[in-house]
Amino acid sequence: MKKIGFALLFFLFISQTVYADFDVQHAIDAAKPGEVVHIPAGRYHGNFIVTKPIMLKGEEGTELIAEKNEPALRIENTANITVENINLSGKNKAIVASNVDGLELHKLQIKDFHSGVHIQRSKNVRIHEVNVTGNVGHYSRKGNGLAVFKSENIIIENNTIEQVQDGIYVEDVKRIVVQRNKVTNSRYGTHFMYTSDAEALLNTYHHNVTGLMVMMTTDIHLESNTVENHVDFNGYGMLLYDVQQAKIKHNTIKNNRTGVALQKSSNVHIETNDFQMNQTALEGTKVSDDTKASNNNFTGNILTARSDKQGFKLESNYYDDYSGIDLEDNGLGDVPYVAVSSFGQWMVRQPVYQYFVESPSVILLTSLDQQINKTEKNMLVDHTPRLAAEGTKEKNKVNVVQMLLGLSLILSSLWLWKRGITE
Amino acid sequence: MKKWMMIVMLCCVMLIGCSEKTYEPREIVSETDVCKICNMSIVHNAYAGQIALKNGDYEIFDDIGCLMEYIEANGEDEIGAAYIKDAAKDEWIDVFEAVYVYNKDYWTPMNYGVVAFDTKGAAQEWMSTEGDGQLLTYKDLHDFKWGIHE
Repeated sequence: MKKIGFALLFFLFISQTVYADFDVQHAIDAAKPGEVVHIPAGRYHGNFIVTKPIMLKGEEGTELIAEKNEPALRIENTANITVENINLSGKNKAIVASNVDGLELHKLQIKDFHSGVHIQRSKNVRIHEVNVTGNVGHYSRKGNGLAVFKSENIIIENNTIEQVQDGIYVEDVKRIVVQRNKVTNSRYGTHFMYTSDAEALLNTYHHNVTGLMVMMTTDIHLESNTVENHVDFNGYGMLLYDVQQAKIKHNTIKNNRTGVALQKSSNVHIETNDFQMNQTALEGTKVSDDTKASNNNFTGNILTARSDKQGFKLESNYYDDYSGIDLEDNGLGDVPYVAVSSFGQWMVRQPVYQYFVESPSVILLTSLDQQINKTEKNMLVDHTPRLAAEGTKEKNKVNVVQMLLGLSLILSSLWLWKRGITE
Repeated sequence: MKKWMMIVMLCCVMLIGCSEKTYEPREIVSETDVCKICNMSIVHNAYAGQIALKNGDYEIFDDIGCLMEYIEANGEDEIGAAYIKDAAKDEWIDVFEAVYVYNKDYWTPMNYGVVAFDTKGAAQEWMSTEGDGQLLTYKDLHDFKWGIHE
């Protein structure tokens, strides 16, 4: 038994070190442009550098371990590089790419680093199926998962990132698509700064401080993302600061301290989103007149909308706390919906007030508020509130099978009843 | 004797009351502090700023650009003291007395590229290692065009 145990230990030991003799840097240096460098399974310590167009391909169990504070892999001043199927671990940064035209990072596992991938002054980059797991601890002591600076034509998709500062950090980038990524337990899910022509689609963000942080950015499209459970003291589902031309569509924004906040922004269109169970669904300060929230569903939020004196437009949204009537039968309420609420405003300033939200005094105050606010004409007023939420139109559809079954049951009952009488 | 003691104590209390109120900088708490202007969490303490208001409140900023935006919007009347981190020493220095250096390639949380130092010598020493920049004073910051520069 002892011998078998030793034999197993021997093979275990061998399996990790059998390829240790393979010299990764030598193989890189020896490869001709366009060649594939196959790195066998094993753990390779070092700080590797690529400066020519090649493909680095690992296999299951291939791991590059950075030494000291240098990156595990540096890619510099080259084009058409692919790095695939490799695990990386170390201290500071896993991969740093500078001045690269054509870079693909695929199927990488990054852990134990301060920062995952750092790309600067590069173009035509695709990062997909990369997993980044940061260390345990507060986000202020960590780096970003995937960071891109001063670059253009970037695609970041299908990545999973957790426990970092910002999951995906984008600064001074032109044309970027961030899609189908999942970021959890970090500071910001995706953080855009000074970026133009950007898209964030079908991403999932939860349990971060803020899901999507967009700052000083122009022309951004945020669509079909799920942004939920950002309930920290300073938590937001989405926060747009100094943003021009933004479309926020088809997102599910659920259970956040504030669903969407707009600050110093203009030309923002918020359409067909589901705002569910947020403390404050929508908040706007210093936003321009052309900012509009239309055809959204607001359900279960404590406060639907708040703003400074400038306000923003509400149009054809569904509000679960709207109690108007529809005499014209056009699906729109005949009385405007007024989102202004004194208690809501206080509650946002003092979050602890939320514990009194259904207390008798607050209900009375809210009722009085609604009567007083009926005179409000412009600020946070929806003149065409929808009576049904988007997606509930099919409620009048007839289910033929159920109808026939019900009919047959009624007829059978009648027949049995009649038979009982006649007998 | 007791009477004299009372008079001396009263004078001391009066002198303390007449002395100018001081406003000390407070420590940044990364878990809860966010910039008053842009709402970013303060995670890069080396660039942080703060204003101690005369009413005892503190306003925290992640970048000197945000601090200046606050001053532009609210004026200086209610400010007891304003501090910015010295980029070389990681110590709080007076915003109004500090020497600033601008270089578009210096990284700061808002990427405004302006960092602060306590003396002109410290600023020049910084430039010798981090790249040449433009020397600025607090007065110059009022006219500075905040934003990313090409």
